[in-house]
Amino acid sequence: MPERGALTLIFVAALVATVPLFAGDFWVSLTIKILVLGLLALSVDLLLGHAGLLSLCHAAFFAMSAYTVAILQVRYGVPMLIAVPAGLAMGTLLALVFGVSVRTRGVYFILVTIALGFIVWGVTYRWASFTGGDNGITNVPYPAIGDFQITSMTAYFYVVLLVVLGCVLAYRTLVRSPFGLVLRGLKSSESRMRSLGYSPLRHLYVAFVLSGFMASLAGVLYIYFNRFVNPATAHFHISVEAVLMAILGGTGTILGPFLGSVVIMVLRNWVSGFFPYYMTLMGLVFIVTVLFAPNGIIGLVNSWRARRARRAKTTDAVGTEPEAQPRPQP
Amino acid sequence: MTTALTLPLRRLATIAAAALLSVPAFVGQAQAEEDEIRIGILAPLTGPLASPGQEMVWGHEMFWEQKGHTVAGRDVRLVIADTACNPDQAITQARRLVDQEEVHTIIGPLCGHEGPAVAQVGRETGLPILLDPAGADEITKWTRVPSVVRTALSASQIGHPFGDYLYNELGLRSATFIGQDYTFGHEVTLGAIQTFTELGGEVDELIWTPIGTTDYGPVIAGVPSDSEAVAVTIVGADRVRLFDAWFDFGMDHRHDIIGTYWLQEDALPQVDDRAVGLISNSLNYVAGIETPENEAFVEAYAEAHNRIPSWFAESGYTASLWAHDAIEAIDGDIEDREAFLDAVRSVEIDAPRGPLRLDEYDNPIQNVYVSEVQKRDHPVLGEILMNVPVKTYEGVSQFWTWDPEEFLERGPYER
Repeated sequence: MPERGALTLIFVAALVATVPLFAGDFWVSLTIKILVLGLLALSVDLLLGHAGLLSLCHAAFFAMSAYTVAILQVRYGVPMLIAVPAGLAMGTLLALVFGVSVRTRGVYFILVTIALGFIVWGVTYRWASFTGGDNGITNVPYPAIGDFQITSMTAYFYVVLLVVLGCVLAYRTLVRSPFGLVLRGLKSSESRMRSLGYSPLRHLYVAFVLSGFMASLAGVLYIYFNRFVNPATAHFHISVEAVLMAILGGTGTILGPFLGSVVIMVLRNWVSGFFPYYMTLMGLVFIVTVLFAPNGIIGLVNSWRARRARRAKTTDAVGTEPEAQPRPQP
Repeated sequence: MTTALTLPLRRLATIAAAALLSVPAFVGQAQAEEDEIRIGILAPLTGPLASPGQEMVWGHEMFWEQKGHTVAGRDVRLVIADTACNPDQAITQARRLVDQEEVHTIIGPLCGHEGPAVAQVGRETGLPILLDPAGADEITKWTRVPSVVRTALSASQIGHPFGDYLYNELGLRSATFIGQDYTFGHEVTLGAIQTFTELGGEVDELIWTPIGTTDYGPVIAGVPSDSEAVAVTIVGADRVRLFDAWFDFGMDHRHDIIGTYWLQEDALPQVDDRAVGLISNSLNYVAGIETPENEAFVEAYAEAHNRIPSWFAESGYTASLWAHDAIEAIDGDIEDREAFLDAVRSVEIDAPRGPLRLDEYDNPIQNVYVSEVQKRDHPVLGEILMNVPVKTYEGVSQFWTWDPEEFLERGPYER
């Protein structure tokens, strides 16, 4: 029987699955966007929350796979069954190359990833004859296998939800595996892990590539949702936003990046419709997070639960330990 | 054991309750007045082009205030959405306007690269979209969408007459070109070069400079010393930086600087009297056009916002005027999308910028004005710098004088 954590995730997914029952197309499409960018944030968080590496180049993998799919489908009429694996492969290939950046640490790692990310952005922006430059690539066809085509937003929503749920469950297994523990060990003390006989480079490289693969998957989901891609997708802003989502929701957790995605996407796409100073509000949210919830939304909930559990312990002897203690900030 | 079970259950119940509570929020949004006409406006109200975006919105609002927010007996409501000059946000906002606000038509966006993104939504939903003022050439040329028409301009449409102006009016036989390095800049600059070289002119040097260049010293140092004139296509905050660098380095003693797209009305308050006498733009609108329509427009705008309108404001105003006239022509039945689009295509508009109608590729045929900066005494604003037309090219097509088929065959302007 799967344990409580996995059940919680499935329950949350089931709740999300009810969105199309009571909300219009806009909310369905916004939920897709939240899920896709949440997945991107989760991929960033594999490095940030578990391995302690702050990567600012994940928009590159995201855009690489999106562009690959778009160019193959629009320019060369390649069917989706080939375009999607090709997109994932190109994004992951890029991660294999960019993975060399794990040889650096701390601020140098951040700088190297920023630079690498800008290379991809520059290519999408300047190689106009191939990538469409500023105008990007429009009119990506609906996802289709043979004659079976998904044209409705709601149908695609369920596809995205299933893929994201599968990915999240796999991610959960990964971070709880010995491999995940090694990553967390590296985050706490790299020298100690090395003295225990682990190879930090190899583990971090694999984590980087896996994280790049997840970002590529998010890119594929994104391109069939937007059916349009342009250099803004590869921009530094997207990488930063993914990191902010992870921090806002709570790093080192699974629901956290998605919660962060909810907050940012709703502010930007819904609140902006009736509140012109939504950017100020977003700034306030970040400040409040840093001051009062350094471990993000999930961290806040966890510490609140821990307090309750402690109180329960003093009155009731049967009380259990809280599931997770708030982790120290990277 | 009990706590272990109740804790997650209680948490899940809280989530469920929160989700249920948010239902009215979702539903409440969809409610809209039965009979009103809703026009969605996409404009960047934050980010690098927030100030032109604001002018554009003012233009729309001013028009509908003058009309009492009605057309053909129906009330009109503007639904304004912020795109932040980001195509990704533009596409989401366009979808929100369609799905949630249930608008009848969308006008916008401003930034060139948002154009194709918003056109994509037109393709998906069939909603009539008046693309205004995003300039991306391809929208009315190579990647046309049946429900998308353009009411402002194609980028190269203002470049073509300028090449002619350089050669025939200024008598130049060679020139240096400085262009902002992105699609709009490429299309305007290369459009001007196309007509200039076809007439026999030569390009001394072509310099591309990225948006957000802070130091124009190295850029202007690249101008060949024997080059007689320098034609510039520069946008945003770069316009004033180039202006300052140009005069601070004394370049004005060596070359003439001529604006293909440079000092629009919104930049004029930021430059000083050294600008007087400069050729500032080749554009479909300048505030100094002397027609009753424009003088009334400029005066009303100056009263309301204490400045003269730039082409962004006029573009917003005229796009709303265009929608208004089309809706009136079909007696308010904007729900009939085909009829509305047909009306937009067939009405002829008397805008502040002159007479307008669409060509068969859904791009306006309109005047292009080459303008000069002059000092004027304005009744409301006092002594100000103002762009005044010195040469009017009447009824300019996006294909200039070429055959459309031939132009389309040649392909887009790319650096």
